[in-house]
Amino acid sequence: MTHSPHLISSTGIGSCVVVTIYDPRSKKGGMAHIMLPGSNGLNGTDSPYKYTDTAIVCLLKKLLSMGSAQQDIVAKMVGGAQMFLCSNDTGPGIGKQNISSVRRILGQEQIPLSGEEVGGNCGRNVDFYLDSGRVIVKTTGEKMDVEI
Amino acid sequence: MNKNTQLFTEEQLDFIREMMNVGAGNAVTAMHQLLMCPVDLKIPKVHVLPVARVSSIIDNPTSLVACVKMGMVGDLGGAAFFIVPERHIKRLITLAEKVYPGLSQLPGENQEEDLSVIVEIGNILCGVYFTAIHDFCGLNLYHTVPVYTLDMIQSALDEALVKLSLQIQMAILIENKFVIKEDHINTLLLIIPQANSVKPLIDALGKAKKVYGSA
Repeated sequence: MTHSPHLISSTGIGSCVVVTIYDPRSKKGGMAHIMLPGSNGLNGTDSPYKYTDTAIVCLLKKLLSMGSAQQDIVAKMVGGAQMFLCSNDTGPGIGKQNISSVRRILGQEQIPLSGEEVGGNCGRNVDFYLDSGRVIVKTTGEKMDVEI
Repeated sequence: MNKNTQLFTEEQLDFIREMMNVGAGNAVTAMHQLLMCPVDLKIPKVHVLPVARVSSIIDNPTSLVACVKMGMVGDLGGAAFFIVPERHIKRLITLAEKVYPGLSQLPGENQEEDLSVIVEIGNILCGVYFTAIHDFCGLNLYHTVPVYTLDMIQSALDEALVKLSLQIQMAILIENKFVIKEDHINTLLLIIPQANSVKPLIDALGKAKKVYGSA
């Protein structure tokens, strides 16, 4: 969690999903690099920021405790790629599961998703600018960065 | 020492390292036969470490690599990854092209890199390491059809590392530096047995100890 004019970065995102939450009014926000869709495997030593459900709730609580109002908060999501294309894959990969899990939890917490750059089969780097809430995504093999 | 590597005694860890050194010898022979030129190998580094610590061994998580992924099946289940840094891919393809003209296509403008040579080398090298494990402790191991990606190493490995690190897990990471015609080719081979394969590995190491004595 931090505030303007800071920048939060995350690199080497494959099937993981990065979620940013941001309050444009106070220019405060946070980022979580989420690895798995559910916290079933959470134990005492695990970070809650590793799992979709616990990570988003933790981010939201922190932002609210910093004085933000729920109705001002927006979220963005990046990642969830399928890095290896296998003909014998059955069911959705971790990446797709992460994406749908983030959508579900954001819906439950009533946080609008204001931007996303998800799926595909390439890795990504993310820069989250707290001065404006913009998220710049650099995708492997792509010459142009994408702003969401 | 971390709890994951505590699964093994120092003696068992020495056995694992020794198996991988035998694998390195096999790998040199395989590369020599494949590239039909003298191949040397610097002393390989073998790490036995918790899956969660694999990322810490990697210098730069955003560095581009060719990553070949294979499932490990047979007496042990899990996954294996053969990794070549981007700057070494072209060297390896060029060396192979000299022996097998037309085998691979070097990238032109707007053309994706053809990594079939890298995939095939990964296929072969993984196989020779599995043979070394078999020869040393009698475990029959096979790998599934390889799949690959050219991407950041952290992105390529994150799914496997995250999924497997949920359980008590260990990984074997082998850093090889091949010297071929004054060129240095660095490769990584990462072998990750799944949780229920650690005990069969320990049992097999125990049997090997009886045959070979102390490592």
